[in-house]
This record gives sequence, C-alpha cells and structure tokens, in this order.
Amino acid sequence: MIAPAAKSFPAAIGRKPLLQIQGLGVRYGSHWALRDFDLDVHQGDMVGIIGPNGGGKSTLFKAILGLVPPTAGRVLKPSGALRVGYVPQHLTYDTSFPITVGEFLTVNHPARFFWCGGVGRKQKREITDTLERLHVADLLGQRLGTLSGGQFQRILVASALLQKPELLLLDEPSASVDRRGSDDLSDILEEIHRATSLSVVFVSHDLHFVSHLAKKVCCLNQTCCAAGDPQTVLTEHLLAQTYGATVHPWRSFQPAEPLPR
Amino acid sequence: MNLSEIWSYEFIRYALISACILGPTCALLGVFVTLRGMAFFSDSLAHSAVTGVALGFLLEEKTGLAIDPMLIVLAFSIGLASLMAWLFHRTTLRPDTVIAFSFTGSVAFGVIIIAWLQKYRLLDGILFGSIYANGPSDILRQAILALVVGGFLLLQMRPLTLSTLNPELAQTRGIRTGWLNYAFAILIAATVVVSLRMLGALLLSALIVIPPAAAKLVSNSFAALLLVSAVIGLVAPFLGVVASCQLDLPTGPTIVLANVGVLILCYAASLFLGNRALHRGGRPQ
Repeated sequence: MIAPAAKSFPAAIGRKPLLQIQGLGVRYGSHWALRDFDLDVHQGDMVGIIGPNGGGKSTLFKAILGLVPPTAGRVLKPSGALRVGYVPQHLTYDTSFPITVGEFLTVNHPARFFWCGGVGRKQKREITDTLERLHVADLLGQRLGTLSGGQFQRILVASALLQKPELLLLDEPSASVDRRGSDDLSDILEEIHRATSLSVVFVSHDLHFVSHLAKKVCCLNQTCCAAGDPQTVLTEHLLAQTYGATVHPWRSFQPAEPLPR
Repeated sequence: MNLSEIWSYEFIRYALISACILGPTCALLGVFVTLRGMAFFSDSLAHSAVTGVALGFLLEEKTGLAIDPMLIVLAFSIGLASLMAWLFHRTTLRPDTVIAFSFTGSVAFGVIIIAWLQKYRLLDGILFGSIYANGPSDILRQAILALVVGGFLLLQMRPLTLSTLNPELAQTRGIRTGWLNYAFAILIAATVVVSLRMLGALLLSALIVIPPAAAKLVSNSFAALLLVSAVIGLVAPFLGVVASCQLDLPTGPTIVLANVGVLILCYAASLFLGNRALHRGGRPQ
C-alpha cells in the first residue's frame, strides 16, 4: 500500500519563512484556478512546482506578485516588504522595438532616479556584472529582438536578478531552450543559489530540469497534490495522480548526467 | 526669398519658432505613441477637437461667457482621452473599436452643433490649421507644453519604456501602469490641442507619427531612436515652413511633405546601411 503524500512541506522549526501562503484560492468567474493551497518558502529554498496545463501554476505566481487578488486565503510576507524578481514564461513584445540588451536592463533597473534613459556608473557596473554572472556579457549592445530563445531567457533572468530579489520566481525557465540550454541554465541558477542563498520558486514541465535543480517539489493541480523532496514526490504514482495520466519520472532521480559538450 | 528676408516677417518668425518647439515635442511623444500602436488614438483626438470648438461657441452664444476656446477644447479632449483610456482598461473591446466609436460619435455631435449654430467656416480653421496666426501667447502655451512633455518623459522614461515594451512585466517591477496610461493619454490630448493651430486636425498626426517612423528605420538602439526622432521633428517642420514661403505653397501640407521626404530618405539610408535586414531578422518572441 502506498502511503498518502504530504500536501505541504514539513514546517521548518525556528525559521521564519520569507513567504507564507495559507489556504490560497483564486477563482476566475465560476472556475477555481487554485484552491486551498499552502506553501512556506524559507531563505535559501529551491522549490520546483510541477503540474498539468491549467493546474494553476501561473495563477499562483500572479497571486504572489499581487497581480490577481486572492478569492480565499492569503499571501503573507512575514519579514515585511519582500523583494521579488520575476521571470515570465513568455514575454510578448514588438521585436522591431529598437532596444538593446543594455537599454532593456537599464529600464528594468530598480534605481529610483532614472534620468532620461540613463543610470549611474554603479548601476551600469551592476548590469555588466549580472550579465557576466549569466555568461552573456557579450550581448550588452545587441538588439533584444535578435536574441535566440536561450539568450533571451538569460536576459530575463538578469533583469529579475537586478531587482536584488530575496525571492526569485521563474515561470517555465526551460520552456524555450533545448536540453543543453536547459542544463546550462540550471547550472547557472544553482551557482547563483549557492553563492547568494537566494530563495527560488520555479514552475516547470521539464522533470529532468526539476530533478536537477529543485530541493523541494510541489505537485500542483488546482491544489497541492503532493509536496516533499524530489525523490519522494517525483514517483510514477504521485505524478499519475497529479497529471491524471502516466508520467515517467526522470531516471529514478539519480543526479542528472551532463550532456557531452 | 532668402532666410534673413523670411525671418524679417514677424508672422513667419512665429511660425518658425512654433515649428521648432512643437516638432520635437510631438516627435518625442510620438516615439511612445507609435510603439504603443496609438497613432489612431492621437488622430481621433485631433478630429474630436471639432466638438470642443463647437461646444466653446455654443457656451459663448448661450451664456454670453467669453471663455478661451482653447481651454474648452483642452478640457473636452482630455475628458475624451480619459474616457477612452478607461474603456481600454475596463472593457473587453479592442482599443481600435473604442477609438472608432468614441471619435466618430464625438465628431458627429460637434458637426450637429456647428450646423445648428450655422458656423461652418469654423471647420476650415480646425481641419487645416493656420500656423501664421500664431502670436506670442500661442508660443508661450507651446513652450509650456514642451516643458511639461519633456519633464514627463525625463522623469517617467523608465516606467514608460518598460510598460510600452510589456505592460505585465512593468507591473511585476512595481510600475503602476494604469496611472501611467491615463497620464500618457492626457498628455497626448494636450499636445494635440496645443498643436492644432500648426497643421490642423487632418494633418497633425504626421507630426506625431512620421518622425519616429523614419527614425525607427535607421536606429539600432532606443537612445538613437529618441535622438533621431527629435532631430527629424526639428528639421522637417522648419524646412516645411521655409519651403512653403519660398515656393508659395500652403504651409501645413508642405510641412507634412517635408516629413514624408525625410521618411523616404531614412528608408533609402536603411537600405544602404543594411538596417532593414536587421529589422526583418527580429525573431518573434
């Protein structure tokens, strides 16, 4: 007999969470996109959220960002104001918009005083440092509309990191990149996470990416079907329960082998 | 007629000063208008000025109050722009649908008032403008507008650019896009009303749309787009006024043709520079 799965992560004793979601429900008209959802995110957490399309993953992020009001429950930030960096799944924009990567990151910079398209020397240094960290410093002068999917994804991550976030929300970060791009992105995120103990919550359909990166996984299909560490949650049984179909977990969750370079 | 001769006429001098103030102002605002796909919005506000003028005359005739007609037009246009911005935000109707019924409805209302007042000659001035009728008070009004637009763009460049690129991303960065959209719509209305005397409702859009369109053909960065657009906005209307004096042509249409000429030159330059390939090479996201 299979033991019932936990519906939330075990409480971290003595640690105050950065983000606390209690009984969250979001309804669009008569349809509940999300209901009765609980999640605590602590400093340094790396949480992967998986689930089928329409399972409420993007709605969860919108509720955390305050873009949709909760119909039920609440999103608490116990430490007060929480700086959140958000990387959207898709960014639709006019690709003929003549804006360079440097300018895009400049307009994304949270500097209060922004004088006619420019920022100070310190902020410029921050932009180049962030690009270097993501191994895309050479893209600074390139037009945004000419970037590849993988390059564009990294620029979006850079724009989120420039917010100096305490919590990074990534919506399908590996959706528009191939396996190698996804592995590279996962390595970079892991490196940043290790160096800064930044809390990261990401949504992904890519179980390989999730198993590689996440320290905690939550299966979401309108509500949390299962939560725990990847080895416990990413099982054939729980995935079938979440997706409503047979889904094969990635190689029994051995550390993913890097592809030959 | 040489330049110093042209400058010696006071009415031409005012026309040139007016062109040099309003040209770059409209062009800079036009960068955001065109990138946000709001060209039809500014055009509709220009045409709706007919109703503002008609309401001003109606008020004067019925109450005997001599209020500056410009103030009535300004209030009407700002009200209409705010209403349209509210409808964009609050309804599921497409913006171009909202603009079409707001603008045709208000123009129809204005024409009925004009017909009732028997003041058809009003339409000429509104539709075609009269740049040579500019006086010191008009120049002052235009200078104030230029300062307001310039100040707004300087202080709001980051939120405005980011919300133009993608409103949802701007919201997640803490930008209040609703407020910004209202402010921008009101600024377009004020610019259109103050600039009406220069080109008239029929041609005014050229001043807002053509310089950024031309600049976009030869710009590889946003800073270049703003700079080239402002320069075209300064040079083309100036050349238009001078050419109309020298060739004895109607001024408004000559200013528009000067803008179109610059647009053609920019297109040719983009072919020469190979920029067009780059524009087409933009990968859809």
